[in-house]
Amino acid sequence: MSAELQAIDVCAFWVGPAIYGIDVARVDEILPRVVPLPVADAPAHVEGVVHVHGTAVPIVDLRRLLPAGTPPRTAKPKVILARLGRRRVGLRVDGMAGVRRYTTGEIRPGDAVPGVLGVTADECRLLDLRELLAEPAAARRAGL
Amino acid sequence: MSRQPETLEALLARFRYRPDEESGGLTELPTATVEPDQPKGADALQLLTFGLGTAEYGVALGTVTEILRARPLTEIPRARPPLLGVLNLRGTITPVYDPSLRLGLPVNAPPCAGPDCPRPPRPARILVVRTVLGPAGLWVDRVRGVQRARPAELERPRGGPTGGVLGVLPTAEGTCTVVDPEWLLR
Repeated sequence: MSAELQAIDVCAFWVGPAIYGIDVARVDEILPRVVPLPVADAPAHVEGVVHVHGTAVPIVDLRRLLPAGTPPRTAKPKVILARLGRRRVGLRVDGMAGVRRYTTGEIRPGDAVPGVLGVTADECRLLDLRELLAEPAAARRAGL
Repeated sequence: MSRQPETLEALLARFRYRPDEESGGLTELPTATVEPDQPKGADALQLLTFGLGTAEYGVALGTVTEILRARPLTEIPRARPPLLGVLNLRGTITPVYDPSLRLGLPVNAPPCAGPDCPRPPRPARILVVRTVLGPAGLWVDRVRGVQRARPAELERPRGGPTGGVLGVLPTAEGTCTVVDPEWLLR
């Protein structure tokens, strides 16, 4: 039996030396420069909150949740404003890598990194954002 | 081999965005929703503060429909405290009450109803409040103004709520007791 191929659109970005991707439907905006307001008692990977069009949005530093490393020189740090159910969250990343379309045939199941669902043929790691950010596992991974 | 498409299907289901997906595991993140925040101070109480004797009181601003300069009232034969008299408020007969009795203050109000009553003191006011039975007046010694307060600033009375006293608000001058106007009329 041959599985029907489906296309997925992925917003790809750099974190450290690797490219990760989330569903493009999650992405509201890409913010170039964000100075979050620190939040007391926040987990280590939460930088703080920013006000975006009248809404307070927490900023999560994905660099603390995913394997560390040096991103390519050309990458410019950004904050991706993403949706998680009815919530919104800002994701601090090392740089954007465009919107990519993959078919399901190009994806193989994920490696051992928590939160990574699958890896595409060109080594874009598809993230399960909800698992990645779920407490308290995320706080544990962020160290401290 | 036959397991592969199924796994991928589950994988894609977790990858794709659904507006109704759970995000409950993120309890330690400050909550942010897609809707804009309430304007600043939207949850603030607005209190109309007034004085009786030396004490300050406050009622929710929304319950007061107007503030009248105190004027001689029409007396009601055999009216008993706290009813002071009635007022013709643009054609609506409005009873006016003295809140002192309910608040446990000494009642030494001069008669303010009838043809022989003296002129009320200049700062005295009548607060017209909305009740289920129509408008009613509260005779107060003076009106100070509107004070904003967050509900958390209200100190609840010790030993649970007592009657219509909703709380005590510390102010620059002392304290302001926040009361339910309907209770003052009862």
